[in-house]
Amino acid sequence: MDKTELAEGRLTRDQLLKLAAAAGGATLLGTRIDDGLAALRSSDASGRLQVMDWAGYGNDGGQAMFSAYVKAHPNNKPQFTVMTNESDALAKLHAGQHPDLFRPYVGWVKYFATSGLVQPWNPKLLKNFKNLNPFMVKAGKYNGKQYGIPADWGFDAILYRTDKVHPRAKSWGLLFDDRYKGKIAWFDDLNMLVIAGLYLHHPRPWRQSDAELKKSRDFLIKKKKLARLIWSSETELWEAFGSGDIWIAYAWPNDWVQMKKKKLKVVYMRPREKPVAWVGMFMLLKGTPRKRLAHSYVDAWSSKRSAKWLEDNYGYGHANVLARPSSSDLLRALQLTNPKAVTEPAAHLDRDIPRRAEYARAWQQVKAS
Amino acid sequence: MAVADAREPPAPRRRRFRLDLTTPSLLGLPLAWLVVFFLVPIAIVGAYSFNVYSLDPGPHGFTLTAWHDFIHSSIYLKLFWKSVKMSLLVSAIIVVLAYPLAYYLALSGTKRKYVLLLLLIAPFLTSYLLRVLAWKVILGDHGVINSFLFWTGLRDPDHPISQLLYSRFAVMLVLGYIWLPFVALPIFVSLESLDTRLLEAASDLGASRLQAFRKVTLPLSLPGVFAAFLFVFIPTLGEFVTPSLVGGTSGYMYGNQIVDLFGTGFPDWETGSVLAIFLLLVVTALTVVFARFLQPRQVTAD
Repeated sequence: MDKTELAEGRLTRDQLLKLAAAAGGATLLGTRIDDGLAALRSSDASGRLQVMDWAGYGNDGGQAMFSAYVKAHPNNKPQFTVMTNESDALAKLHAGQHPDLFRPYVGWVKYFATSGLVQPWNPKLLKNFKNLNPFMVKAGKYNGKQYGIPADWGFDAILYRTDKVHPRAKSWGLLFDDRYKGKIAWFDDLNMLVIAGLYLHHPRPWRQSDAELKKSRDFLIKKKKLARLIWSSETELWEAFGSGDIWIAYAWPNDWVQMKKKKLKVVYMRPREKPVAWVGMFMLLKGTPRKRLAHSYVDAWSSKRSAKWLEDNYGYGHANVLARPSSSDLLRALQLTNPKAVTEPAAHLDRDIPRRAEYARAWQQVKAS
Repeated sequence: MAVADAREPPAPRRRRFRLDLTTPSLLGLPLAWLVVFFLVPIAIVGAYSFNVYSLDPGPHGFTLTAWHDFIHSSIYLKLFWKSVKMSLLVSAIIVVLAYPLAYYLALSGTKRKYVLLLLLIAPFLTSYLLRVLAWKVILGDHGVINSFLFWTGLRDPDHPISQLLYSRFAVMLVLGYIWLPFVALPIFVSLESLDTRLLEAASDLGASRLQAFRKVTLPLSLPGVFAAFLFVFIPTLGEFVTPSLVGGTSGYMYGNQIVDLFGTGFPDWETGSVLAIFLLLVVTALTVVFARFLQPRQVTAD
């Protein structure tokens, strides 16, 4: 084959195939592998802080909450990996991802602290630590060590439309009210079994016995026909609630804020069985080479300024007790003037579920039923 | 001399040994791709299903527990059967709907058939998610359909048809819409490659148009119909995106369960792997069974 053949397009099929094979082989064995290795090397060598966090908390809208970190480390901006939930984070960690820090919620502190995957923080390196809610700080401790630094928090409670729904009682039972079949949304989490346990008056909803768990599961299976939707992302809930497809939902404070913005007549009910409070806990991965950067990042998140921004823009509470949102509605809903809002007697603080695998299996059976 | 020369076999032309790497090069890459990105992952998933691999770094070893639990679990098998029924129904309905469409495009002789074909696949120029989400606007309690019914007075605004969205019906409707072109194309191809002289011969032998269709067109297009059916049935059986967007609690399918076992609540990769491998086995078996119907057919005159 000479250049004239190529130029004139006079290639036999055989020649063309040989050319394609040679080009493919050369590309795969040469350039691509070199590029890939170079990319891997540059990623390893960059030394940039690696953060695994929930959508909306990274460069996709959450920049204001770590702006102090970026200001202090302009050449070392954080790189984010999204986690969709703790289970997803756990799978990613086991699969070989090595972030410096990530954010599970309070119910997972004990699990991760005993998993060997994380190490305690050094609170002395966090100048905003003293302003964090002591009850939440305590919830981040395990065996006397500070494994979790509290950040965002909120409640699991019930959101409903006052123009459509007339509850018989302030109770979690509204999620299981036969009168509103097809207008109810549950949350896609095994915590639904805890809610069922609270409603059914099990003494320890987070530590249900086999018989209690079966009762909770069967109850949810029986009532599932009432629920039109089991939501897993807030946007999904907002779309369904805002369009009128749903009137009653297991919801977070921000959902109430968003629906009020849509001029819907809504109430965020605190059930008599008490709402469940959750707190986001930053956790430091064991063996991280960027420990100081991780502390600096979490300290930025813990500042009063970041806290107020979070409350104003995302509608969640923040562990920094000095922060106050601009909205008095939110202030009331989150009971931000009460530092014990997340603990007894005001609410049940979410906690470790020792038999999490059994709960997860039971919840899957509810969904599959 | 001349005779002797003729008896002697011609001296063998000495073959020059040439290492021809064309075929290995061409086949090697796709085969390697298949092995590395298909067979090896399946083997790994299989290993998870027997607890040979485990997400939990603690002690683990070969066990059939997850398979035993799956086979004896009425919930998982019921969900699988529900998904099979939904996929079968969707596949059958859209094959029936797509056939006349493909028939018209292939055999009507219209000069615009490729333009019409392009129109048929035009929705594929937009995102899959966008197309699914658009149905929410149409099917919601205050969506296009219900609003029209309110406007005409056929339905009271306080009582919309709620079953349109977040239901099994919604999942099947959207899946049908999404997969219709994939069904129409194989049928179109099989009909377009039909030798029209066979239809002329049937006509010459006195067959009516209906008889010609029944005895010639339909049998010869059946491989395309079966291919189309498989094109839809296999992916919809493991579908999870559409049910999670428009299915609600009642449209939950087997594919959603697999996703959930791997990533929601607390990861149970062992059971998730069992469900995934079981689905793969069923799909493989179905493909083998259906493959015999994909062979080109012959027609005979009665």
